[in-house]
Amino acid sequence: MAFFAVLGIPLHITIQKLSKAYGVLWALRDLNLDLPQGEFVALLGPNGAGKTTLLKLIAGLIPPTLGTVELNGVPFSSTHAPSRAQIGLLTPAGHLYENLTLRENLQFFTSLYKQNHDSTAIDAALKNVDLIGRAHDYVSTLSSGMKCRLSIAKWTLLRPGLLLLDEPYGVLDGSGVDLLENFLQAHCGKGNIVILASHHVARVLKICNRAIILHQGRLTFNAPRQQPWPDFDRAFGEFLPHGELCSS
Amino acid sequence: MQLLREAFLLLRKDLVLELRRRESLLTMFFFGTLLLFVFHFSFDLAPERVAEMAPGLLWLAFLFTGTLGLAQLFQAERENQCLEALLLSPLDRGALFFAKVCFNFILMLLVEIVVIPLFWILFNLHTWNLLPQIFLITLLGTAGFCVLGTVLSAVTLRARARELLLPLVLFPLMIPVILATIQCLGAVLRTGEIGEAVPWLRLLLGFDVIFLTLGVLVFDWVIEV
Amino acid sequence: MAGSAQPQKQGRSLLGGLAVVVIAGGLYWGLIQAPPDALQGDVQRIMYLHLPSILTAYLSFFLVFIGSCLYLWKREKRDDNLAHSAAELGVLFTALTIIEGSIWGKPTWGVWWTWDARLTLTAILLLIYTGYLMLRSLIEEEDRGAVSAAVLGIIGFLDIPLIHMSVYWWRTLHQPPSILRPDKLPWENIHPAMLTALVVNFAGFLLLYFYLLSLRLRLGEIRNEIKARRLARGVY
Repeated sequence: MAFFAVLGIPLHITIQKLSKAYGVLWALRDLNLDLPQGEFVALLGPNGAGKTTLLKLIAGLIPPTLGTVELNGVPFSSTHAPSRAQIGLLTPAGHLYENLTLRENLQFFTSLYKQNHDSTAIDAALKNVDLIGRAHDYVSTLSSGMKCRLSIAKWTLLRPGLLLLDEPYGVLDGSGVDLLENFLQAHCGKGNIVILASHHVARVLKICNRAIILHQGRLTFNAPRQQPWPDFDRAFGEFLPHGELCSS
Repeated sequence: MQLLREAFLLLRKDLVLELRRRESLLTMFFFGTLLLFVFHFSFDLAPERVAEMAPGLLWLAFLFTGTLGLAQLFQAERENQCLEALLLSPLDRGALFFAKVCFNFILMLLVEIVVIPLFWILFNLHTWNLLPQIFLITLLGTAGFCVLGTVLSAVTLRARARELLLPLVLFPLMIPVILATIQCLGAVLRTGEIGEAVPWLRLLLGFDVIFLTLGVLVFDWVIEV
Repeated sequence: MAGSAQPQKQGRSLLGGLAVVVIAGGLYWGLIQAPPDALQGDVQRIMYLHLPSILTAYLSFFLVFIGSCLYLWKREKRDDNLAHSAAELGVLFTALTIIEGSIWGKPTWGVWWTWDARLTLTAILLLIYTGYLMLRSLIEEEDRGAVSAAVLGIIGFLDIPLIHMSVYWWRTLHQPPSILRPDKLPWENIHPAMLTALVVNFAGFLLLYFYLLSLRLRLGEIRNEIKARRLARGVY
């Protein structure tokens, strides 16, 4: 298992019967999903559909009530340290230390992932997200959009085989969005998998190559992208404010 | 080796953050000193009785300041949910335990280095020559406190009212450490040497070793997400 | 599960009935058959309850330890249920022991409470396992609460020998153990009727304990079953 991250062997993911109950409520039920390498998945659904729960389950941050997630046929266990290295999660929470500088944050996390990037690689990552001028400032001095850019820089350095993103668009400006999308497409191009949960349906449908819809904890739609896409419009139409079409 | 490397990385991060924020250390210093004043007012100690009471009073002060430190132990990980980021990473969770124990140990040690001499000054004790032994015993006691305290701090991490719950769970289990340290300190202050209290010292060492091992072993479960 | 409920229930009632009979027998032996103590007189008869209740409490804390270890290992709700139930009963029996001890202490030592080693140890046990129950009630998410509690259950039990040692070195005032003395065999130290009373009462307390435990375990099972059924109905 430990070799995958190091050698960059592409991942494929098999999710079987994944379910999560909070108390006596199901947040997610019987989700089956197969993702081959290089897949870029748009994870869509109304508020409370279970998108964040699904991402946290895959990342191993919460234990499933039932079901398994397999990476390359091996059940993923959050207590097995090397397999954790293959999964990245970008959330609105940020996961950054406020009183470390930008550079210190990147150095800390890259060494936690046992990747000894020299300072030129870190500088390049910071330059890539337009934050090189702030490299020695504390994260607490950044705006929320800038923090999101820094998180993107973190994952460009760590290059996990499976990257999960939970609503990253919220605070990013136009150039930030371009930057994120370019990175994600390049990341998938190398055989990695990306799952992107978002409400910006029109945006994510342009870049993904598969869309899945969650509704009330169940998978209601799962298909590779087409253009135009009447099936998707039918499945997703009820969640849109004006009944507008979004796949075109 | 890997475990130590990761532990060092985490410890350095915690120390850097503490140097920049100075939240835990300053409050612990201040609280420790404050307690000495409160003790003085509440007991109004006669000089000849101070040496007799000193071990208990000192340990009471360390227990309270230490608990203050434990409640703050995962503070750095709370902002932006960094604990999630650590749990997501391929870090060995035993290393996280080890780093947190060391961090809390260093904080308490820094407080004790100031509070013990201050106690001698404020209560007019003259036995300055005994301070090395006193420090040594305090060191062992503090280690036991930090080891068990860190495990329980993580055990109560997800509970409501955790700051209140932690001492309730911790103090009864700490009784061997409290008794052993006080007995050792008492023996040193009475006779000038550890002599009769050697069994207590062994008990203290045993406690440290048992719970350090247990902590490294169970921390994966304790911190489990 | 529903099929086995009826015989289970009958078995439990039998256990309860047996406990009542045996404890009644033990009390008859202890209060009437056994001679009064040479030094303490009739007061000493409280020992026939005191000793069985503290032994039962220790057994209970051992079961907490076993249940906690099994739960961490296999993650079965059954083991967590065992640990939780045993902790509640252990606290109950420890509290009983302390109350009986106080009642015994007042006429014997002239005080309700004294900081003697065994009393102190019992009080500490009460504190530890009350803390355990508080932890359980303060963690909302059930699985995480069970894991945290299991770790505490293990730490608490492993700490008992250390606490025991330290408290004993610290102070020993209590009468030395009166039955298990190294120089004499148990039955030579004590009037046979006294020993019988003690053994019968201990058996009675064990029966009572297992009766209560089986009731409490069933309660936990029912709780889990309700939850499972509500989940199966698929409330989203």
